Amino acid sequence: MAPGTDPGAEGKSVEGRAKDSGRGIDPKLLEILVCPLTKGPLRYDREAQELISQQAGLAYPIRDGIPIMLVDEARSLDQPREIAPPGDRQP
Amino acid sequence: MIGELPPAPTGTVPFGYRDVAPDEKPRLVRGIFDSVAARYDLMNDLMSGGLHRLWKRELVDWLAPRPGQRLLDLAGGTGDVALRAAKRPHGPIVVCDLTPAMLTIGRNKAIDRGLIDGIVWIAGNAESLPFANASFDACTIAFGLRNVARIDLALAEIRRVLRPGGHFLCLEFSKVVVPGLRALYDRYSFDVLPALGGMVAGDEDSYRYLAESIRRFPDQERLAGIIAGSGLGQVTHRNLSGGVAAIHSAWRL
Repeated sequence: MAPGTDPGAEGKSVEGRAKDSGRGIDPKLLEILVCPLTKGPLRYDREAQELISQQAGLAYPIRDGIPIMLVDEARSLDQPREIAPPGDRQP
Repeated sequence: MIGELPPAPTGTVPFGYRDVAPDEKPRLVRGIFDSVAARYDLMNDLMSGGLHRLWKRELVDWLAPRPGQRLLDLAGGTGDVALRAAKRPHGPIVVCDLTPAMLTIGRNKAIDRGLIDGIVWIAGNAESLPFANASFDACTIAFGLRNVARIDLALAEIRRVLRPGGHFLCLEFSKVVVPGLRALYDRYSFDVLPALGGMVAGDEDSYRYLAESIRRFPDQERLAGIIAGSGLGQVTHRNLSGGVAAIHSAWRL
């Protein structure tokens, strides 16, 4: 790794670094993660911290850096995200 | 003395001594582990007198971690197997558990021990794994298969995510093969264990479930047959502590 690619990491507590790891998903992990329902590919939505299965119409949340690949806890893509106010709903 | 219990009626699966719909079991199991997560490691030590550590070490010895070996540890929430493997030269490790609360504990333990590199933590159900075909060289499950609703589905998924030549290892409570020990063990698991669970984890029911689920789980020979039936080959097993637990080994051919 080139020096300076991760500025600030050195001074951080372990807890701080663990939180940082929650912001990104290891690209190698994305290569093997699939939708548990369809076994189809997932798209990583960094902004929303979700893994989206277009085929299943489901978005799997990433909570505290841990992908929750459980169908019961996935958001249907028809439904708005919980954080979105009701006014944001598409007509 | 506890006798042999009949298998669950058609269309249901065992949950302790109850029979429940297969779709209901994950929620019930999750409820138990949400409840015991914070005290899980402590309880394991108390209940087994530390024996579970020896058993998990045996499991990791048999696994023989090495660089480049991609390991999936199922039902491994608190990281007991993964962190043991990670202390040796190892490849990428994925821990997958149904209960996010257990994974959080495992990940925090990994951070405390400085073992965060090369281990990832995923919430998932063993019956429908979120991994691509042939993603792993080895798969372990320690004290997890008993809690799965449909063992055949889980084994089929394990086979799917293993590469050809991949190794499957299952550590699970089994049937005590030493006659004198069996009566003692029954008394211990149905009288002492739930009381201990009540005192330490404040949850007697969860530990009664543990004792019951152990009695209903297939014994060494039957489990070997179920594993072979899933299409995994070269099934062998080894008893630990007189059959209180056993490790089954099989290969994806």
